[in-house]
Amino acid sequence: MFRPMPRASGYFHTGYAQDLALLQTRAERISLVIFTVVLVALPFIVSPFLLDLACQVFLASIGALSLMLLTGYAGQISLGHAGLIAAGAFTTGILAREIHAPFWLTLPASALTGIVLGLIFGLPSLRLRGLYLAVSTLALHFIVIYLGGEYETKRGFSTGIIIDPPTVGGFRLSDGRAWYFVLLGFAVASLLVCINLLRSRSGRAWRALNARETVAEALGISVVGYKLLAFVISSSMTSVAGCLFAYYRGFVSIEAFDLFLSIQYVAMIIIGGMGSLLGALLGAAFVTVFPYVIESLIKQLPNVQKLAGDIFAVNYASFGVVMILFLVLEPLGLVGIWHRLQNYFLLWPFKQRPLASARK
Amino acid sequence: MQLFVNIIVLASIYALIACGYVMIYRVSRVLNLAHGELMMLGAYLLLATASLFSGHAAMALGAAVALSLVVGLLVYVFLMRKMTGEMVLAAILTTVALGILIRGLVVLLWSAQQQYPAQALGVPNPSLVIGNARISLWSAVLVLTNAAVYGGLFVFLRFGRWGIRMRAAGQNPLLAAQRGIKLHSVYALAWSLSTLTGALAGILMALDSGLTTSLPVIGLKAFPAALVGGLDSLAGALVGALIVAAAEVLLIYYVDPLLSDVVPFLVLIAMLIVRPWGLFGTREELDRV
Amino acid sequence: MSEPLLQVDKIEVVYKRVITAVQGVTLTVAKRRIVALLGTNGAGKTTMLRAISGFLGIDDARVTEGTISFEGSRIENLPPHDITGRGVALVPEREKVFPNLTVAENLSVSVARAATGAERRHDEDRIYYFFPRLAELRQRVGGLLSGGERQMMAIAAALMCRPTLLLIDELSLGLAPVVVEDLTRRLMTVRDEMGIAILLVEQSAAVALEIADYAYVMENGRVVLDGDRERLKSHQDVQEFYLGQAGGERRSYRDVKQYRRSRRWYG
Repeated sequence: MFRPMPRASGYFHTGYAQDLALLQTRAERISLVIFTVVLVALPFIVSPFLLDLACQVFLASIGALSLMLLTGYAGQISLGHAGLIAAGAFTTGILAREIHAPFWLTLPASALTGIVLGLIFGLPSLRLRGLYLAVSTLALHFIVIYLGGEYETKRGFSTGIIIDPPTVGGFRLSDGRAWYFVLLGFAVASLLVCINLLRSRSGRAWRALNARETVAEALGISVVGYKLLAFVISSSMTSVAGCLFAYYRGFVSIEAFDLFLSIQYVAMIIIGGMGSLLGALLGAAFVTVFPYVIESLIKQLPNVQKLAGDIFAVNYASFGVVMILFLVLEPLGLVGIWHRLQNYFLLWPFKQRPLASARK
Repeated sequence: MQLFVNIIVLASIYALIACGYVMIYRVSRVLNLAHGELMMLGAYLLLATASLFSGHAAMALGAAVALSLVVGLLVYVFLMRKMTGEMVLAAILTTVALGILIRGLVVLLWSAQQQYPAQALGVPNPSLVIGNARISLWSAVLVLTNAAVYGGLFVFLRFGRWGIRMRAAGQNPLLAAQRGIKLHSVYALAWSLSTLTGALAGILMALDSGLTTSLPVIGLKAFPAALVGGLDSLAGALVGALIVAAAEVLLIYYVDPLLSDVVPFLVLIAMLIVRPWGLFGTREELDRV
Repeated sequence: MSEPLLQVDKIEVVYKRVITAVQGVTLTVAKRRIVALLGTNGAGKTTMLRAISGFLGIDDARVTEGTISFEGSRIENLPPHDITGRGVALVPEREKVFPNLTVAENLSVSVARAATGAERRHDEDRIYYFFPRLAELRQRVGGLLSGGERQMMAIAAALMCRPTLLLIDELSLGLAPVVVEDLTRRLMTVRDEMGIAILLVEQSAAVALEIADYAYVMENGRVVLDGDRERLKSHQDVQEFYLGQAGGERRSYRDVKQYRRSRRWYG
């Protein structure tokens, strides 16, 4: 599609259906089948801990994909992602607690909250760009967090809201494996939505306004409309992720949605590689798994006691270091590394040296 | 009267922190979101020097301030210098990552407990009385320090040769380089000064009310003050700090104490809607980004 | 003059590793001489100035072949402040003054190599002597200067860096002829009294050939003709294509096809 495909030479399309197909080479089809088999078999062969980890990765992917859509493709920087997740989670929590709403009501309600918040978060983008836009999303994040905190204290849930597992048509969703497939389903659905949005008119419009806003407007693309659309779609996806998050954890508390969570999501798309859906997935996996890797590394060291007590601080510090390393050394992220690896093996003995200027 | 004193104290805190944001932004267009953490680091460095120079409070203070200057310089030389010429967003995210790193390191080196540098130094913090209002000693020192810092910066930027060069480099880096100015030197100077003023704020706050690892939150709350005044205007930072502090103190008193953390951001949003480039900022700033 | 001040030897400048802007250009600037670089848009003149002053990196360009020597030492691909420190100052084409600083502040911004405070004051006085108009405008903010005043300001600021070689990009662009005449006269005074060499990039051949001792004509990244003032002024092709003097008779448009005769850059 839009990335270099060194394996796709020799395939000639003779009809529109072939052109539009998501999988274009036999190699892609085979790898998808293998990947699906692995994914489906996974819950039956790994430990519950890894299963939980996989579920967290899927949850994070939804948020990462939506942020990639907004920031990586449409170019609207957002530092308020945690606020949107909180909004979805709190909508779920409030509805479940106040009126005992069932799952099939809270999910659309969260999406609706996301849409409304998306419009609010998106309004500054009509006037502001870059740094100022990021700052406005930051401010809105704090306002959302404040509102959540207000609700908690005023309604007496100072330690957080407890939510019962959701029931879907009589089937109670509390088993680890069941959650795995549900979250996998949602993640795949988000991925497909993103892929298709990007292949369509919206995707092209977003790329255009990311590159040069005035030119896009001159070409007849409604910049206002598409900016708001990006915010709205991204926010509703994120709120849905928040809703799922609330049900998965069974517990919603405002402290879980601090600024660090927003930064983590931004790190996901940076570390993964901006402007690439695969990057969002890789980044989500990386950032989610990272703390656990650090923890197990710490346990290997001889001086366990002192550091183990401060595991939170160690996480922070190492996360900062890794983020700096990626920003300074590898601006194209994990996807950049992946492409370079691919090119090395596929083009050998030729080398591909891309033209100097990276995406600015 | 007490309200008035509170506003002045809070405004001084915000102003002293905000001038750090303004200096770096004005010169290199980078928003240093690690400023709050660097401020906190300065206060923790005071703890370290307090144990080194136990008994000599003045020396400990001086050493902490000097160390902070060096830290700012090192941060530029070893990290931010590599990001000049990159996307502005990448540079900002680098500062965010740096902030996270510093937060982790501080807890690892000093533990997450609340510390009391005033006790460590052996300095008292009595309450002074002005009219029918009370103000603590170190808060009063902070107000005076803020005034001194702003006075010094105004004179330096207006009349000092390197001050004029800093303004020039902020306006047009290419032309400045063509006139023989080493941009790296100017940026390093800006970072050092910014960290210095931030550390002063952090140290004085820590002496006044103790030191915890949530000090950077105040740093983040001071940012709206800088933006309201205009991110490239020092005078604006002063005015912005006054506005934000007044709003915060008054709303806490008359409406709801929980609002304390969110008021600066409400003011920020209002400003962004009405006049995004701030009260005294330059309008082209927006299109540049 | 045995050793030239600036010697550019068959350099090639490449943008983004794929676009060759300048190829095989050799040029010499002797001490205390004014050398002009003529050519139309896109000939590579600004690239030449950038290569000499070290500001290629910004546009991702490099000198890939050949050498540039200044006062005997090689300076190609050195960082710009290094080159400015050796005595090469550039007056750029656009954005030549700091708009929010006054004229006096603009002058004080320039970094003069190895100058004490007293020497700087002496330099400033000399600049105000060469450009009395600037002395009147000392407190005027840079953005409010007129075009001619701005150019004067830019040259003055560059002179404050105490260069031995002054590079000027597009001296006369956008200026009224009266102003340009005044500027060129002052430039010659500066050259005589301060003993500096000037490399002047100009689109207007008439202006350049008034003051240049020697000139190079560039086209498509190559030097196609060089010579001293008299030679160029009397050269038929220069006359026709750069000075607009196409010979005596009137031409009828029926002969337009033959009007564009091919340029012969020999002899």
